[in-house]
Amino acid sequence: MLERRLYLHIDWLLLGALALLCAFGVAMIYSTTYEPTTGVAGPQVATQVWALAIGLVAFVIMLSVDYRWFADSTVMIFVGLLALLGYVLLFGTAEGGAQRWIDLGVFNLQPSEFARIVVALALATLFADRRRGPQTTGGWIMTALIVGVPFLLISQQPDLGTAVTLLPVCFGILVFAGLRLRYVAVLVALAILTAPVAFFYGLEDYQRQRISSFLDPEQDARGAGYQQIQAQITVGSGGPTGKGFLQGTQSQYNFLPVAHNDFIFSVLAEEQGFLGVVVALGLYLFVILRGLDAARLAKDRLGTYLVVGVMSGFSFQVIYNIAMSAGLAPVKGLTLPLMSSGGSSVIATLAAFGLVLNVRMRRFTN
Amino acid sequence: MEAHGAGGRDSFTVPMTLLRFSVVLAFVALGTRFWLLQVAQHEKYRELAENNHQRTIALDAPRGVVLDRDGRVLVENRYSLNVSLVREKVEDLEGTLELLAEVSGVPASTLTSVVERHRRDPVYSPIVLIRDASLSQVAAVAAHELELPGLIVQQLPTRYYRTEEVAAHLFGYVGEVDDAELGTPEFQTVRSGTLVGKSGIEQTYNNFLMGRDGARHVVVDSIGREIDTVGEQMPVEGRQLQLTLDYDLQEAAENAFAAGGFNGAAVVLDPRSGEILALVSLPAYDPNAFALGIDQDSWGALNRDTLRPLNNRALQGRYSPGSIFKIAMAVAALEEGVVTPDDTVTCRGGGTFYGQFRQCLGTHGTVDMREALEKSCNTYFYTLGEQMEIDQIHKWATALGLGELSGIDLPHEVQGLIPSTAWKREQRGEPWYRGETISVAIGQGPVDLTPLSLAIMMATVANGGTRVTPHLLKAVNEGDGFVPVPRPVPRSQVTLDPTTLAVVTDGLWRVVNNGGTGRRARIDGRDVLGKTGTAQVISLQGRVAAGDTERDLRDHGWFVFAAPARAPEIAGVVFGEHNESSGLSAEVARHVMETYFAKKDGSPRPVLPLPPLPATPQVVPPVVPAVVQPVAAANQ
Repeated sequence: MLERRLYLHIDWLLLGALALLCAFGVAMIYSTTYEPTTGVAGPQVATQVWALAIGLVAFVIMLSVDYRWFADSTVMIFVGLLALLGYVLLFGTAEGGAQRWIDLGVFNLQPSEFARIVVALALATLFADRRRGPQTTGGWIMTALIVGVPFLLISQQPDLGTAVTLLPVCFGILVFAGLRLRYVAVLVALAILTAPVAFFYGLEDYQRQRISSFLDPEQDARGAGYQQIQAQITVGSGGPTGKGFLQGTQSQYNFLPVAHNDFIFSVLAEEQGFLGVVVALGLYLFVILRGLDAARLAKDRLGTYLVVGVMSGFSFQVIYNIAMSAGLAPVKGLTLPLMSSGGSSVIATLAAFGLVLNVRMRRFTN
Repeated sequence: MEAHGAGGRDSFTVPMTLLRFSVVLAFVALGTRFWLLQVAQHEKYRELAENNHQRTIALDAPRGVVLDRDGRVLVENRYSLNVSLVREKVEDLEGTLELLAEVSGVPASTLTSVVERHRRDPVYSPIVLIRDASLSQVAAVAAHELELPGLIVQQLPTRYYRTEEVAAHLFGYVGEVDDAELGTPEFQTVRSGTLVGKSGIEQTYNNFLMGRDGARHVVVDSIGREIDTVGEQMPVEGRQLQLTLDYDLQEAAENAFAAGGFNGAAVVLDPRSGEILALVSLPAYDPNAFALGIDQDSWGALNRDTLRPLNNRALQGRYSPGSIFKIAMAVAALEEGVVTPDDTVTCRGGGTFYGQFRQCLGTHGTVDMREALEKSCNTYFYTLGEQMEIDQIHKWATALGLGELSGIDLPHEVQGLIPSTAWKREQRGEPWYRGETISVAIGQGPVDLTPLSLAIMMATVANGGTRVTPHLLKAVNEGDGFVPVPRPVPRSQVTLDPTTLAVVTDGLWRVVNNGGTGRRARIDGRDVLGKTGTAQVISLQGRVAAGDTERDLRDHGWFVFAAPARAPEIAGVVFGEHNESSGLSAEVARHVMETYFAKKDGSPRPVLPLPPLPATPQVVPPVVPAVVQPVAAANQ
């Protein structure tokens, strides 16, 4: 299946950057879950390492099989995703008020993390066929279904944050697939106009609370605004060079909640300082631009769309999470891909990059 | 296939550029944000982070120990167990206080008011809810540890007055610094909740006695757990004070009051220096109750008590001096040259002055000044009053310290009153009528004096005219031994004519030693000087008018004293509240003086006749025959 010469076209630079980011992630998870009184790090470190191992396997699989094979099996894969999401809604494991996981015994699988790849694959397959461009009615209906059904299923868990990450995937592919700019303008205008309506009628109380406390964190410093304020303090107190590994007072003494998860970048900023932030930002920017290169180099539209979809979702999540970790965006349960603690996220992200490298690697094959 | 590839690559230039541009722009924005937070505003956030995890916990300093002139420890500190509340660990404050009230027996309202008083303290600093908790209260809190998070048991230094009610007014008491005090420069560095002196020497010498609180700097996590101690300054105990007080005399005086069965006040001092040797005010209170932060009920009870136990009668009570004032009259008359010592007056049980008959308590016949003092002859002093201006009396009474503040180092001293023409004009807008001087001459009329000022008068007469400043502080120990404090300068000085002194001294000697009114103060070989006085609470006519009343209308008995006659070392006053007998007051004085001389000579101390005790049923243990019995008996 994997011909020897294909190895020559593997993007080792991108792979190296990914590996570095994953290593940073493990180090930061170690630091944030480290208990200063006992000197022991949390079980999340081991989980993350295992997830990385499984993610590596997923990565190799996604790399080895020609992406066109996945395109041919889109329908089956998409139906499989819907089945998993439906299963989660009916029989999933609940935690913290949301039912997001399937208990696999060893670890909990979060199917919504894989939705982005599947939606990217489905949309790419859809628009790879020129007859169904984004301008056609059939294209619109299909797009709405491919994005809308998983969106609804995920938002019912409820996990609006993860559901929303499907939108940049869709938007990126639509733009590349030839969505006219005036439609783009209409979409943006619509989004702006419906935002207040959605804010007052479409959101739960806690979601509204998050947004309003983002706009004015001091109004509720012990409640919803707390994390945002603490995130800023964490980042700001890190200074130019940081407090040093395991020396971050904000994370070590738990002033910053879910530090190993949603706010891992704040911890990196605290312990490694602005220097560490610049290195990490640089690595992420490199990964994104280098990944987008694969879209440019892809030998067919399918490959381009697939890479654009994956990279749009990835970029959105990275930018949103880092913005949030610096107090620039409302607090949402969105992980930072590659670094945050979370098995499903790591596996899904590595699998997605497997596809990206797959497309790039096969740019000369037929 | 080919179409895919070729068409794909070229037509994506625009969206690809757009996407890349957006991503780069977003990353530049993020980088700028991090630069702002981490470099530009780093200092601000560094401080915020430090405030998050670094705390300073105050360590209470014990107050200074207080000793008497012989070095006996009278006031010290002990460590008490206190139940305190850390609000940041409590979710349901109301529920916690209710449950604590239930298990401890302390009213919930009391607990709530304590928390309310400290609402502005940081949420992590413990608020003491139950001071000096009993073991059962501590056990109850420990048993409910899970339902009562945020409650801790602290060991805190607590003021301990070894002598309980003895000398209570002299020591005073402590209490939490109040908001008004916190605003003053003296209490600038004092934390809210600190115990400061509120009365007595605890108040006067608060700055000496208050130590320097220590502090512990700790690192805490988000739930307030202490992770590490990064620095510690130990508290410094307050300075030790040595008082001029002689506890033996204090105890002797209080015991004598108890034996006599009456309340009152006494001041005993060294007339040469003004050192206070004993200062009594009865009834007293137990200052230990204040050391723990007195509760509302006890405080209210102390304040409502009609006997006014919080009142320091020695310097806050103003009474009519009665015949004791005759000493001042005698000095004034002799110094003003109104009479000579040998001028006589014939007493036939009274006399008519300004058309009004004034009674004497006896029929003394022909008396000169010595005899008039000895017998406390009113007629003689009425006659002096007739011949004198009120302002002459005022001048000499003031020179002896009457109607003046003594300047004692105790708070809230009250000034007495000696009338004068100026006073009458200011207060009543009327001239002074000469007839009024007749009453003043025997210490009645508008003459109101504190026991302390009468003790000063006696000391001034005893030392020949120096109005010494009474004081309690003898020496201060700042850590390297006691250093005497300079003696306060006398308030004023007059040169009394030697004849005046000789005559008055002789008169006062006769009061005690020649079968006069003060004979109960006589001590063989000690040449005690003294003068009795009776302060009417109400006149005879008034008594009839008042009829049946709850008020205690019995007279007060006074006795002032000094000894030994030629060179007095000890002087003072005994005020017997409603004891109806200056003789009983003289006995208190005698016991104090006997104790003083016995102590000085190293001879056995005088023993008081024990006051009759109510017969309490005795539990008699059953007699167990035992072989050790004879041995025990032999030991006795």
